[in-house]
Amino acid sequence: MSAAPAPRESRRAEALESFRVRGMPHRRFEHWRYSDLRAVLDAGQVAQSGTANWQIERVPEGVELFDLAKPAAPEWVVRHLGNIGNRPTMEEASLAFADGGAALRVARGRKIAEPVRIQISSTGNLRLLVVLEEKASLTLYESHTVDAGLLRNVGVEVSLAPGAELMQVRSAPPMPRSFAIEHIAVVAAENAHYKAHFANFGSRLSRTELHILLQGEGSEAHLSGVTVLGGENHADVTSHIEHVAGRTLSTQLFKHIAGGKSRAVYQGKITVREGADGSDSRQTAKALLMSERAEVDLKPELIIFADDVKCAHGAAVGDLDADSLFYLRSRGISEREARRLLVHAFLEEAVAAIEDGALRESVWRDVESALPRAMEAAR
Amino acid sequence: MMLEIKDLHAVVDGKEILKGLTLSMKAGEVHAIMGPNGSGKSTLSYVLAGREGYEVTSGSITYDGHDLLTMKTEERAAKGVFLAMQYPVEIPGVTTLTFLKTALNAQRRARGENELDAMNVLKFVRQKATALQVTEEMLKRALNVGFSGGEKKRLEILQLSLFEPKLAILDETDSGLDIDALKLVAEGVNALRTPQRGMLVITHYQRLLNYIVPDRVHVLAGGRIVAEGGKELALELEAEGYANIAREPA
Ligand SMILES: Nc1ncnc2c1ncn2[C@@H]1O[C@H](COP(=O)(O)OP(=O)(O)O)[C@@H](O)[C@H]1O
Ligand SMILES: [Mg+2]
Repeated sequence: MSAAPAPRESRRAEALESFRVRGMPHRRFEHWRYSDLRAVLDAGQVAQSGTANWQIERVPEGVELFDLAKPAAPEWVVRHLGNIGNRPTMEEASLAFADGGAALRVARGRKIAEPVRIQISSTGNLRLLVVLEEKASLTLYESHTVDAGLLRNVGVEVSLAPGAELMQVRSAPPMPRSFAIEHIAVVAAENAHYKAHFANFGSRLSRTELHILLQGEGSEAHLSGVTVLGGENHADVTSHIEHVAGRTLSTQLFKHIAGGKSRAVYQGKITVREGADGSDSRQTAKALLMSERAEVDLKPELIIFADDVKCAHGAAVGDLDADSLFYLRSRGISEREARRLLVHAFLEEAVAAIEDGALRESVWRDVESALPRAMEAAR
Repeated sequence: MMLEIKDLHAVVDGKEILKGLTLSMKAGEVHAIMGPNGSGKSTLSYVLAGREGYEVTSGSITYDGHDLLTMKTEERAAKGVFLAMQYPVEIPGVTTLTFLKTALNAQRRARGENELDAMNVLKFVRQKATALQVTEEMLKRALNVGFSGGEKKRLEILQLSLFEPKLAILDETDSGLDIDALKLVAEGVNALRTPQRGMLVITHYQRLLNYIVPDRVHVLAGGRIVAEGGKELALELEAEGYANIAREPA
C-alpha cells in the first residue's frame, strides 16, 4: 500500500506542476513590466541551476535551526514550509527545485538580541523559513556572495505569531552577470511587527518581491531600502502589503541612486481590504538620477476597500540640489566631496531605519563601495 | 588693493544684471554696499563666490593680486573668500557639526595644513560658538533645518569666525533680525575686523551700519555703483531714499 505523500512533498509537487504551467514571468505579467525575466532566462535553466549554499556561522542561543536538506523535518517546518502566502511563479520554482535551505524558529517570549547572520553563496535555488512564536523577537541579516553564476533564486517565508517581531536586513553586492531573485512572504498575526531593510546594488536582473499579509489587528510592516546602482545593473523592489485586519500600519521608505546605464524599479502596492478599518499606510519612494542614461521607475499603487483609512504616498525623481551644492562648495568643500555628502544625506533616513548599529554600519560600508560607480554618468 | 572690481558685467538667465560695476577695497577696510531690492547686490555676492549660472561677460575681478574669475568656488573659499548668504541653505541629513568639520578640513587641506580630528574640531567650534549663542543642540541638528532666521544668520557668522577668511562678504546678514540678534551679529563681525581682513557688508537698511561702522559706502542701483562716500552717505540715504541718489550720475 502506498502512503499518502507528506504535506511538504505534496506542496513541492504542486509547485513544480504550477511552475511548469505558468512558466517564467515576463513583461505582460502583472508587476513584471520592468523586469522581463523570460526574455533572458528560461525555465529549464532555473530547474537545472540546482540548490544554492547557505551558512550561519553562529546560531545565537535561543534560536532553533533546522537544515532543510535533512530528512525528518520537525512539525513546525512541515506546517509552514511552502504554506505561507500566495505563490508567484519564481517562488514556486525555489520551492520545487531547492533541495535545501534553513529554517529558524524562536520560541514563545524569547527575545534574541544577537542577529542571526546568514550568508548565501553559489548558484541555484534556496528556501528560508522563519517562524517566530508569540512575542518572540529576532534580527536576521542576509548577506550574499558574488558567486551567483547565472541565477540565485531565494524563497523566504516568515510566520509571525501574535506580538512577534522580526527585523530583516538584506544586502546583496553588485552582480552584473547574474540574475538575483528573492521572494519574501510574510504573515503577521495580532500586534506582530515585520521590519525589513533592503540594500540593493543590482545585478543583470535583480528582483526583490515582498508579499505581506497584515492579518492580525494592530500588526505592522515597516519597509525601508536603498538602491545604489551603477554600470548596467538593474534592481527591482516590488512590494504588496495587504491590510487585512483593522488598525494595521505599514510604512515604506525607499531611496534610489541610479548612475551609468542602470535601471532602478520600485513598485509598491497597498491593498486595504474590506474590514481593515482604521488602518494607516505611508509610502515614500525617491530617486536621484546621476546619469542621463539611467532610468528609474517608481510606481506607488493603492487599493482601498475599507473605511476611515489614512494613506500618504509620494514618489519623486530628481537631481542633486544645485543650491546645496553651491553652499557646500562656497565653504571650500570640493564638488566631488559635496556631491558625496549630499548623496549620503539623501540615503541617511532610509539606512537609519536599521536598528542594529553593527548592521547599519555594515550596510553603510556596502553603500560606500557601490557609490563611486553609481555617481558616474554613462560612459 | 585687496579687491578690485572693474567694469563688471554679469548675466543671469540671459538677463544682464550687473552693468559695469567698479569698486575697490583695501585690506583692513569695511565697505558697505547699499541699494534697493533687485539692484544686483546678491548677484554681485554670487559672482564673487563663483556660483554657476552667474556668467561674467566682461570686466575683471582681482583679489589679492589673482584673477578671481578663473578660480573654482571651492578654491576661492580656500584662498580666503567667504560669503555669508542672504538665504542660507537647509541640508537635511548633514549635521551642522559634520558640515563644519568637513568644510574646515577641506580648506585646511587645500592650503596644505594638517586636518583637525573630531575632538579638536569640536573644541574649536565650541570656543567660537558660545559668543554667538550657537548651542550644542544646534550643532547636532541637520544644517539649518528648522533653524529660525536669527539662528541661520548666527551660524553664518560662526563660520566667518571659524574659517577666518581674508575677504568676507555679508549679504543682508541683518535682514529679519530683531535688535538684540542684530547687535549680537554685529559684535561678532566687529570682533573679526583686523588689518588683514576686508569686509563687504551688503545691506538694504542703514540700521546695521550703526553697529558695523563702514570706512566707505557704495550705492548700487540698476547693476552699477551710482554713488560713493563715507559713512555719512548711509545716513543721507536713510533720509532721502534711494530714488534721489540713484538719479544722480555716477
Ligand atoms: N536666478 C535668477 N534668475 C533670474 N533672475 C534673477 C536670478 N537671480 C536674480 N535675478 C534678478 O536679478 C536682479 C537682481 O537680483 P539680486 O541680485 O538678488 O538683487 P538684490 O540682492 O539687490 O535684491 C533682480 O531683477 C532679480 O529678479
Ligand atoms: Mg539680495
